[in-house]
Amino acid sequence: PDEYLLSLKFLFGSSATQALDLVDRQSITLISSPSGRRVYQVLGSSGKTYTCLASCHYCSCPAFAFSVLRKSDSILCKHLLAVYLSQVMRTCQQLSVSDKQLTDILLMEKKQEP
Amino acid sequence: MAETLKRVLSRGGAAWSREENNPAAGPPLLLLGAPGSGKTTLLFAAALEAAGEGQGPVLFLTRRPFQSLPRGTGTALDPMRLQKIRFQYPPSTRELFWLLSSAHEAPGPAPSLLLLDGLEEYLAEDPEPQKAAYLTALLLDTAAHFSHRLGLGRDCGLMVALQTQEEADSGDFLHLALLQRYFPAQCWLQPDAPGPGEHGLRACLEPGGLGPRTEWWVTFRSDGEMMIAPWPTQAGDPSSGKGSSSAGQP
Repeated sequence: PDEYLLSLKFLFGSSATQALDLVDRQSITLISSPSGRRVYQVLGSSGKTYTCLASCHYCSCPAFAFSVLRKSDSILCKHLLAVYLSQVMRTCQQLSVSDKQLTDILLMEKKQEP
Repeated sequence: MAETLKRVLSRGGAAWSREENNPAAGPPLLLLGAPGSGKTTLLFAAALEAAGEGQGPVLFLTRRPFQSLPRGTGTALDPMRLQKIRFQYPPSTRELFWLLSSAHEAPGPAPSLLLLDGLEEYLAEDPEPQKAAYLTALLLDTAAHFSHRLGLGRDCGLMVALQTQEEADSGDFLHLALLQRYFPAQCWLQPDAPGPGEHGLRACLEPGGLGPRTEWWVTFRSDGEMMIAPWPTQAGDPSSGKGSSSAGQP
């Protein structure tokens, strides 16, 4: 309903709209491997893919590094918000990969330049 | 993890009571202290505690093998417990990333406790804040995955030791502020009125969540044995602890 939308906008400002846009475009993928380990990938509006950890607050995007970690003027980025919204709306894309592939995804994130 | 450390510290003094002996690991804990403040000894004591009866293996990550095993905390070194501690020595930040990223590929039962000593050395290799955040987040994620594998409401604890500098430069400060966001529970080891032939520390545990802050008095005997007593002001027995003259709260 509209009141939820207004609350989201009140709390998260323009991130709320952008995050809902990401959800609408089904940009969030929950990747899991047979081990049960999981990670989220979000296809950003720029066409770049960012990795969000499923267990704790982390996104590989520059906004998370700058506004959340360094400046502390946001509590999350639009990608993390999109992940949380898609979790409650149950609209994630699902992708199964091998355990080895999941390792590569987690490792690749480290190599990604900020 | 805070609960495990609390059990370790509480065991040394009369304040230890059975009712606190629940198997929950508690929130992820950051152990902070200057060089030589006993961080490794406490980590090792926590490892032995978590390797107790009926509990899963413990994974202890540290950059290099111990020259000698730290002396106990009053309890004898039980070989059965020692066997349940698996040491791994990632020599570089890159290796540590690899180890954590591939933790779900490792065979065998999931650990009930994940320990990392000397986080500052790994962070120093690549001081970029986002890398530090990712390394920290990956530690939490690895512990969360182990918890998932343990199942049945059992959690894998996480305890990480970070060396703090006397003079905090801005880079360290940034790291610390960042780490504190990921670790709800923290334990500070602060030097306090050293006596002759031994050094004393105040161990201050902020368990995170709603639990009260608790303090202990930690001393190292000349043979390396770690002695723990409740901090006098809250134990209700000032004679049990040394240095009661400096017992004022900060």
